[in-house]
Amino acid sequence: MRVRRSFPTAGAALVIAVALGLSSGCGDLSRGELSRGVESLSALAAQGALVADGVRRDATKATYARAMARTLGGEAEHEAEKLADATPAPEGERERDAAVRAAADLADLFSELQIFPADERRGARVQHQMHEAEEEINGIVVRLTGEEP
Amino acid sequence: VKSILKIALGIIAAIGGFLDIGDLVFNTQAGALYRYDLLWAVALGTLGIAIYAEMSGRVAAVTGRPVFDVIRMRMGYGMGLVALIASTAVNVLTVAAELGGLAIVLELLFDAPFSLFVIVAAIALVLVVALLPFGGIERLFGYGGLLLLVIVAVAFHQDPEWEEVAKGFIPSFTNSLLYFYFVMGVFAAALMPYEVHFYSSGGIEEGWTEENLRENRLNAVVGYAVGGVLACALVVISGYLFHPLGVEPNDLGTVALPAQSAFGETGLLLGLGGILFCVGGAAIDSSFSASYNLAQFLGWEWGRERGPDKAPRFTASWLIFLLLALLIVESGINPVEITEYAVVFSVVALPLTYLPILLVAGDRSFMGRHANGRFSSILGWLYFGVIVVLALTAVPLLLATNGGGG
Repeated sequence: MRVRRSFPTAGAALVIAVALGLSSGCGDLSRGELSRGVESLSALAAQGALVADGVRRDATKATYARAMARTLGGEAEHEAEKLADATPAPEGERERDAAVRAAADLADLFSELQIFPADERRGARVQHQMHEAEEEINGIVVRLTGEEP
Repeated sequence: VKSILKIALGIIAAIGGFLDIGDLVFNTQAGALYRYDLLWAVALGTLGIAIYAEMSGRVAAVTGRPVFDVIRMRMGYGMGLVALIASTAVNVLTVAAELGGLAIVLELLFDAPFSLFVIVAAIALVLVVALLPFGGIERLFGYGGLLLLVIVAVAFHQDPEWEEVAKGFIPSFTNSLLYFYFVMGVFAAALMPYEVHFYSSGGIEEGWTEENLRENRLNAVVGYAVGGVLACALVVISGYLFHPLGVEPNDLGTVALPAQSAFGETGLLLGLGGILFCVGGAAIDSSFSASYNLAQFLGWEWGRERGPDKAPRFTASWLIFLLLALLIVESGINPVEITEYAVVFSVVALPLTYLPILLVAGDRSFMGRHANGRFSSILGWLYFGVIVVLALTAVPLLLATNGGGG
């Protein structure tokens, strides 16, 4: 599953680190990691738009929308922190900063959804903004990889 | 009529009780990443569990011996102990994953802290086991799990290109390790060892004899096959909705999103209700399996029907396993991650579970005229070959794909 890793033992983490080091070129790793991080932001935005769509159509349960927004917002925040802490290659610095801003914006949108999970008007606005954020993030992916996500 | 009704009820319970958190998460992920391409692996896994569940039920009905008894008898104390340790570790992880899944669904339905709902879920399981007879527990979760039939309705509502869906049942391969990781994942999620441990021990709890062989065959073949339709529907609805959007369903709540998109709040509630009963039933099955295995290996009195008075060590071990699972979930590890480790590590333990079943089910001196026929033997050995390959590749795939993170 494409979830954040937190292996329980240092030994297992070491094995993974060695395996990753062997299976990928170290020079491209930070750029690859950066683009993967940005892609997961795009996935979060797409999922957020679906949750917001339920709120917009009054087709969801408020507790569900709130809990999902909390979880996804937490993931966006975590991604923002991870990207901000990383030291990218010089040519990726601008994209990294843009991604951190996009992640922070996403987290804000999820916060709004979390606070107003039954407000259809806000749901429509958040959905629209999620789509905009997704497009912006996809633009970053294109700049990083040269490929459409 | 009574006997037909009993068989029908058994099949219905098997359908509703087929899916667990591993199927829900892995199949949804598989659809989101590879659209319909992995449907063949889901079908292959479903056929595998039907074959081995039927064998284990047949062995239990004919010989009165559940799977772990057979494991110890065939493999001896040393290898039996290895199998016990491996399966207990995987079972406890599975119980933790299912308990965490229950708490997530309760959080989505009632919006209170997750850690509180972990405790609520554990208490609810204890109450269900204390208050209901064995058959009642099976029926409660089996029938409740039928709420998940909503995902089949969602698949028809979405009306995907059915030709593309059909192509997904033809095995296809790429050179992507991530693809093979998900092949292994969806296959293994269908073949979790606790399912046959529970199935065969449950047969003995219900007093199966040779007269129940037809019931066993229908439960295993029809029940699991229709359950497999649910598993395939998960891949289809995820492939239809999530794949084009690039959604990565990392949370159990996301599994219910397609039902919400298709049928609004009603669909969402049916989906969440179905997930609740499926993971609740799997929590009971896997925790019972852990206790069944331990008690059968050590020769204790065992069984829900015997109760705490006649099987005190069995009952105590069940409570301890549930408590261990509760502690794992409360430690803060994401239940979805626990699910992944449970599924992947269960693959490693699969041969230790399935080889003894295959050997005993094919042994005429033991099973008499109910031993495997040629067709069952060939299918069983073919599947065992696949299981061995998966067991050897599971951990390398986990490491090489960074746990499916790509």
